[in-house]
Amino acid sequence: MGNGLTGDIIQAHADGRKEGEYLSVRVDFVLLPDYALALLLTDLRELRRDVWNREKVLVAVDHFAPPSTVERANLVKRVLSFVKEEGISHCSLYGGICHQLLAEGPWVGPGMVVLGADSHTTTAGALGCLATGLGSTDILYTLITGRTWLRPPEAVRVNLKGKLPPYLMGKDIALELLGRVGESGFLSQAVEFYDLEGMIPMDDRLALCNMVVEGGAKNGLFHPDDVTRGYIEGRNGHSGQWKWTFDGDPQYRGIMEVNPSSLNPQLALPHSPSQVVDVEEAKGEVIHQVFIGSCTGGRFRDLEVAAASLKGKKVAPGLRLLVTPASVKIYQEAMERGYIQAIVEAGGVVLNPSCGPCGGIDKGILGAGERCLSTSNRNYRGRMGDPSSMVYLASPLTAAATALRGEITDPRELL
Amino acid sequence: MGLQEVITGRVWRLGDNVNTDILHPPSYFSLDGSKVEEGLREGMQRLGTDFRGEYVGDGLVIVAGENMGCGSSRETSVRALCIGGVKAVVASSFARIFYRNLANLGIPPLECRGIRDQVKDGDLIRISIKDRFIELDDARHFPISPLDQHIERILECGGLVPYLRRILDEI
Repeated sequence: MGNGLTGDIIQAHADGRKEGEYLSVRVDFVLLPDYALALLLTDLRELRRDVWNREKVLVAVDHFAPPSTVERANLVKRVLSFVKEEGISHCSLYGGICHQLLAEGPWVGPGMVVLGADSHTTTAGALGCLATGLGSTDILYTLITGRTWLRPPEAVRVNLKGKLPPYLMGKDIALELLGRVGESGFLSQAVEFYDLEGMIPMDDRLALCNMVVEGGAKNGLFHPDDVTRGYIEGRNGHSGQWKWTFDGDPQYRGIMEVNPSSLNPQLALPHSPSQVVDVEEAKGEVIHQVFIGSCTGGRFRDLEVAAASLKGKKVAPGLRLLVTPASVKIYQEAMERGYIQAIVEAGGVVLNPSCGPCGGIDKGILGAGERCLSTSNRNYRGRMGDPSSMVYLASPLTAAATALRGEITDPRELL
Repeated sequence: MGLQEVITGRVWRLGDNVNTDILHPPSYFSLDGSKVEEGLREGMQRLGTDFRGEYVGDGLVIVAGENMGCGSSRETSVRALCIGGVKAVVASSFARIFYRNLANLGIPPLECRGIRDQVKDGDLIRISIKDRFIELDDARHFPISPLDQHIERILECGGLVPYLRRILDEI
């Protein structure tokens, strides 16, 4: 009891085998970013087994895109050879961040079980599926068997009431929730969102599901509704064969409510995503770099609001603004709408779709003592560069306002 | 390989909410074992640990608080522990991916409350897996929570890859 829609999805995929509290579960789709695939290639070769279904795997070269060291170049080379030799149907080379590609692609929808070899696989739960991250070895098991072992989690229901005011984004709701529950408040739980009035756009839902893992959650999931259907129809040209209706009445261990109209823009202070305050409380803190990008904050709506804020203005002298569209598709659409031009004219640097600065992988790494305001998901000490650097997390709206002023700024001051 | 009945080692004490980015900074991601090991030493420094592997010969046992191993799923953080001679990780609670990564690579993740504040870096510790308790050098005992049968099976095989080999043979 109390396992929510997630529990129902697990039961519907169970193959009858059970060990302890774990059920053997059929997996519908697997997401494999470059670095995680590189880690399992040796074991995979030694096992001498084929991938269970070549059509149900997306490999994305997104972390080392393009590679910035010789070792990474060699890892990507091995990954691409594997894709070719195995005949994996779906592979993205520099097409964007794997979590965004998974949402954009035609593959996943409500009721599915989706695994990824990256913690932010929770993002895809915005489409009404059970999407969760695992380590490389767990994914190796799935690649060969088409199965995984899952425990039905306790589920928490989050009711979202009303629409987002123009100064708030899904990111602010995510930070608000993390501030309430702390870094382990959702430990191993399913966090299931109900958008009671159907007013939260898909890009904001993806950001919300992305960040539930920062509270320890197994997965985030939006109960499928007209927004989900509209997104999937826009993506595939039809609503597809997904499971749109679920039997029974999902039960929850707890209920939380968020009323966006009563929230202020939120900010996570260094060095924890759950150390959250109103942006107003940190107002005036000098910032050296603003990063708008990542699988949390580099989507179309993120670039749209950032470009609207920046258009015709200049970023503060000396401040570095880095913008990374989360996918090539977003990049192209933003170009067509003039957003990229507005960002560049304001003094922003646009990087190619990839993970980049978020994990301190390449480009935009922070120096000693530098302060960065980022639309990404983690501000752990040293993640983006020097261990003495400091990262603040906020929405793209807050990021754009901060870039213009050169100090932490509540976006309402510029609206 | 397999699950040892008794594990002994030196304590490496950690706090609450230790994330994998600080334990093993992302810039040390590599398939090269020596670079991965270097990342663990860097992690130890960032975590304020006052030893740099002088106890590794005796084997290390991490003793941590809540939500051990939160954040990134990068398995290099656990591979680093394997290379660094960590024989078990004891914590009040675990982040779920880290918990699975430990078991998958053959390091027992053990839940035990109340022990973290009773130990310091370098203390000798003895874990009886079978009888489910931890004994300190001064003979004090702390109970550990039973392992789930599935996790125990993986550990008995020495990790998820050998477990998978066994399952494939059964099929």
